[in-house]
Amino acid sequence: MKSVIEEVELLAPGHRMCAGCGLAISTRLALNVAGINTIVVLPTGCLEVTTTQYPETSWRVPFIHVAFENAAAVASGIDVALEMMGRKGINVLAIGGDGGTFDIGFQALSGMFERGHRVTYICHDNEAYMNTGIQRSSATPYAAWTTTSPYGRYSIGKKKRKKPIGIIAVAHDIPYVATATIAYYEDYQRKVKKALSMDGPAFIHVLVPCPTGWRFPPDKTVEISRLAVETGVFVLWEVEGGRMENLKVTVKPKKRKPVEEYLMPQRRFSHLFKPERRQDVIDKIQRTIDEKCERYGL
Amino acid sequence: MKKEEYKLKKITIGAIISEPGSSIKYKTGSWRSYKPILTEFTPPCTRECPARIKVREYISLIKEKHFEEAYKLLKDKIPFPVTIGRVCHHPCEKKCYRGQFDEPIAINILKRFIADYALKNKKKPSKVEITKKEKIAIIGSGPAGLSAAYKLVKMGYSVTVFEALPVAGGIPRFGIPDYRLPKNVLETEIDDIKSLGVEIKLNTSITDIKHLRKQYEAVFIAVGVQKSRKLNVPGEELDGVICGLEFLKSLNLEKKVSLGKKVIVIGGGNVATDVARSALRLGAETFIVYRRSRKEMPAIKEGVEEAEREGVQIKYLASPKKILGTNKVSGIECVRMKLGEPDESGRKRPIPIEGSEFVIEADTIILAIGEYPDFSFLKGSVKTEKQRIVVDPKSLATDQPGVFAGGDVVTGPATVIEAIAQGTKAAVCIDRYLRGEPMKYGEEALPLIELEKMNLSMVETKSRIKSHSLPVKERMGNFKEVNLGFTEEEALEEAERCLSCGSCKLCKLCSIYCPDNAAKMGETEAEINLDYCKGCGICENECPCGVIIMELEVK
Amino acid sequence: MVKKVIEGQQAIATGVKLCRPKVIASYPITPSTHVPEMLSKFVANGELEAGFINVESEHSAISACIGAQATGVRTFTATASQGLALMHEVLYIAAGMRLPIVMSVANRALSAPINIWCDNNDSMAERDTGWLQFYCENAQEAIDLIIQAYKIAENKEVLLPAMVIIDAYNLTHTMEVVDVPSQEDVDKFQPPYKPVYAYLDPDRPITQGSFGTPEYYMEFKYSQQRAMENAKKVIDDVFEEFEKIFGRKYEKVECYKTSDAEIILLCLGSMSGTAKEAVDRLREKGIKVGLAKITVFRPFPEEVVEVTKNARVLAILDRNISLGYTGVLRTEVASAFVNLSKRPLIANFIVGLGGRDVTLEDFYEIVERKIPEFKKTKRLVEWINVKGGA
Repeated sequence: MKSVIEEVELLAPGHRMCAGCGLAISTRLALNVAGINTIVVLPTGCLEVTTTQYPETSWRVPFIHVAFENAAAVASGIDVALEMMGRKGINVLAIGGDGGTFDIGFQALSGMFERGHRVTYICHDNEAYMNTGIQRSSATPYAAWTTTSPYGRYSIGKKKRKKPIGIIAVAHDIPYVATATIAYYEDYQRKVKKALSMDGPAFIHVLVPCPTGWRFPPDKTVEISRLAVETGVFVLWEVEGGRMENLKVTVKPKKRKPVEEYLMPQRRFSHLFKPERRQDVIDKIQRTIDEKCERYGL
Repeated sequence: MKKEEYKLKKITIGAIISEPGSSIKYKTGSWRSYKPILTEFTPPCTRECPARIKVREYISLIKEKHFEEAYKLLKDKIPFPVTIGRVCHHPCEKKCYRGQFDEPIAINILKRFIADYALKNKKKPSKVEITKKEKIAIIGSGPAGLSAAYKLVKMGYSVTVFEALPVAGGIPRFGIPDYRLPKNVLETEIDDIKSLGVEIKLNTSITDIKHLRKQYEAVFIAVGVQKSRKLNVPGEELDGVICGLEFLKSLNLEKKVSLGKKVIVIGGGNVATDVARSALRLGAETFIVYRRSRKEMPAIKEGVEEAEREGVQIKYLASPKKILGTNKVSGIECVRMKLGEPDESGRKRPIPIEGSEFVIEADTIILAIGEYPDFSFLKGSVKTEKQRIVVDPKSLATDQPGVFAGGDVVTGPATVIEAIAQGTKAAVCIDRYLRGEPMKYGEEALPLIELEKMNLSMVETKSRIKSHSLPVKERMGNFKEVNLGFTEEEALEEAERCLSCGSCKLCKLCSIYCPDNAAKMGETEAEINLDYCKGCGICENECPCGVIIMELEVK
Repeated sequence: MVKKVIEGQQAIATGVKLCRPKVIASYPITPSTHVPEMLSKFVANGELEAGFINVESEHSAISACIGAQATGVRTFTATASQGLALMHEVLYIAAGMRLPIVMSVANRALSAPINIWCDNNDSMAERDTGWLQFYCENAQEAIDLIIQAYKIAENKEVLLPAMVIIDAYNLTHTMEVVDVPSQEDVDKFQPPYKPVYAYLDPDRPITQGSFGTPEYYMEFKYSQQRAMENAKKVIDDVFEEFEKIFGRKYEKVECYKTSDAEIILLCLGSMSGTAKEAVDRLREKGIKVGLAKITVFRPFPEEVVEVTKNARVLAILDRNISLGYTGVLRTEVASAFVNLSKRPLIANFIVGLGGRDVTLEDFYEIVERKIPEFKKTKRLVEWINVKGGA
């Protein structure tokens, strides 16, 4: 499938996202698959504040933002309202960040999954609370620096691994769960298309590098996204019908690169390399990835 | 209603609503400190091509199915696209960046595809009006001579080509067998040159350059090479020892050659493989004896492969020591070689192994160890050195004013495309000479694209498409063309593999990855909307063609 | 119209059903649970054509209502106490987005300690959220105010969400005789919902819930305030229209024997009924006492000044406490008199928190003992019937 970037862009330029923002790329990719017959629901976050500064908006599809933790609930209401109005063929697309999905919005998300609404929920995971200024979330990876997981004499950055949100979504027994990232746009767009075709909830966990929060130059956004896959840090897969045994890895790196290639360009990991190299930590991260990749048959 | 009032009205309506896409009013381009510039570079294929053929451009036209335009692009540059599509040694493919990724693009077969397409559909070109008063004489109707004639006639000169043989075309005409280059192909292209107004005088040997120079304002010597080198071993004078080029000439011009049952070809160049494969087609059991290994063989790789496939037996690392026989050749005694240190040509020097002599029986021995020009006709009128005419490498001018030389007489035995390049260069310099301008040739070339600038992360590996060829069993006893080229579908598929190094291929990646929807596809290349571009540089980093350069913006 | 013996929650559910909402999202909480139970049953047996969303929290209940209402349908939710408190932040948003959602609130005390019985602290805590608030005295008012709340909220001069509030147990679980309006009459009174201005429609892709910078935020709040002002007249008009069709008259502030009253009791909710009986008994004893009952608390009924200003004492009974100060009704009502030179003395009594009964004796105590004392002490606030209290 070739990527379709519409002439009339559903996310208009003039938005205030940072130069090189991964969210913007991801949103454009998803919207162009979803098309104009889509209602977008956003929780509070970077994407929301940068696209809807009154009286302007970047959205060319109907859009609603309510609060931080309730996008899935708002989407549930929209889904049922559309059903009651007899309006068919309209996609309900919720797009939340990792904070609004992994953390504060998790309950609403879980409820939305359980009730089986026909909603596609895309989680833009940039691995921290970026809108408030880079605070750790449950999506922040092990050893990453954030303003609330700083490194110091008694800290190596974030203490624990990130929450496996995709697997948790699969455990809800919903029709479709996938992971994606912007570099592999064809894979991503195919998954969005598939998700929207489901007669029930679908969840796509999208890794979106954040130049500001991950501390890398803005031209490297797509490259870092690609490196995440090439190193096995982020595995692209999909599961249909809520059955882990159906898990299919959709993009297999030809030869897995060492994780260092992913960590090195990001200054949120710079404390692993200087003032002294923390080989123990790098090894630990590599081991975790190796174990994970083994499970995924990579 | 004033803008402010309108906004307030919307607020007093109550709901917090905004008009779709209204953020376009906010021009984020003002954030930028670096801006992307679309820049074109020279691709390695063109850089490597002696004639600087715009390979990337014609492949791009193939992709768009604009075969006619692709042909025009080629024909504009060189008079022999159809010929070259068959016989070129395609150095472009060696440097093709795709080769470092998976396999090089089948540039030559693609070129042949469009040339063949044009051959079926093209019209005769019409005569070019003579607009310049100066007349030009060209000696030799090989690729160099005719390429010069082609360029010069198009500039409006009156051009006369003198050819000693009864046919025009030079080596491609008499030295390349039909199974590689069917003669009608070459003839069509020569006819085109004649249609433009070039006069070709056949059976006309020039013996007095000075006299000729008096009749013509400029003379271009492009007589090529005629003589085969000798082995300098005992028995070389025996009946049945013939020269490769002579053999090919007889085959191509007279069509009657008898070789006997067993033929040994000495040499490792294109003449050797052409001779061997021809001998095979005439029914002889054929050997090639070459003193180095396959890696050092100067012949085109495909030629060697096909020769082996067809049944030519190649004895590598063997050197003739003595030709055996009384009156008539009966065989050859060779000695085995081993490779030593590289010599001045960069290839490993072969060293004989004492006591390893062996004998191969033969009815005919054909020498194809190199050719050199016959300069007897020059009678010292221009300066020569080591069997080459001495020229100024920038202009191809000889030591005699108004006399130029090019092709094999200058370079030594070389390839068709090199000869074409020389002819083209000579034409440009002759024109400059006649116009009284400084004689130098050099196209304003854009810098070469660096492979590192091209992000090939999103390119998927895809093998080169194999062209069709005549089954081996159908090749014997005839000279039917072996390489059958691509079908349209195959050509399109192969063209699609081209990375378009250094030129936008409208792949849309910049537009797909632009966070600000600032990159759009224009007619021929991407266009960046600087109203919104924040200057992140993702497009530069991701561009698979390497054409986007971020420049510091001076505000 | 049919007379039925039903409990307060059933009155709410029946009123809601008559208004034909399309989406109901509700989470169970004592003592509001019968409302979603009954509504689910109506949906299940086809009496009500609506989507019922079994949300996983009150927060999601109101959020789902926002989503549905913004899409273009009439919605309903019901809650109480902690559930209402959990909705708190979203209540502001529903109002700010001008979505006329109707919600029933069973007035129940807030933790801690946990308590499931009646007081007003939960709804009083939401008075600033931008919702219309209607307080019911009985089950009849519950059904009638639900029907009227929709009409008021959806008026395009208003477009604000509305809470219809009934006391925990005293009303929610008490069987009363109720005149149930006919569907035909309600349909006449209440036409099908047509969203105004803002709704999610791909054919009209507007953005709702924008980011409001300092340049615009105040204007939005000002527009909400104007809507509240507009609501005052709209409420009167709707009450009048309702009376014409259904024969029952509603007022923002209902006056009971106040015209000659020297002492006017002021309260809201179910204790108003007890208060009326107390007024009758006390008048038998010759005390000129009356009652002003607040039905509409938001927008604030300024009429309360006009109807109480001639009394010598205005005794405000608050079934809530703004800890550290007085009852909420007192602060609100007292402030309404602030620029009048002639005004009654204003006494405040905190009663019935956490479901403690407010009895006739409590009223007698207030009128016969506490008010005479108060005339001397002018104490800001007095807690009635509290162990260890003063």
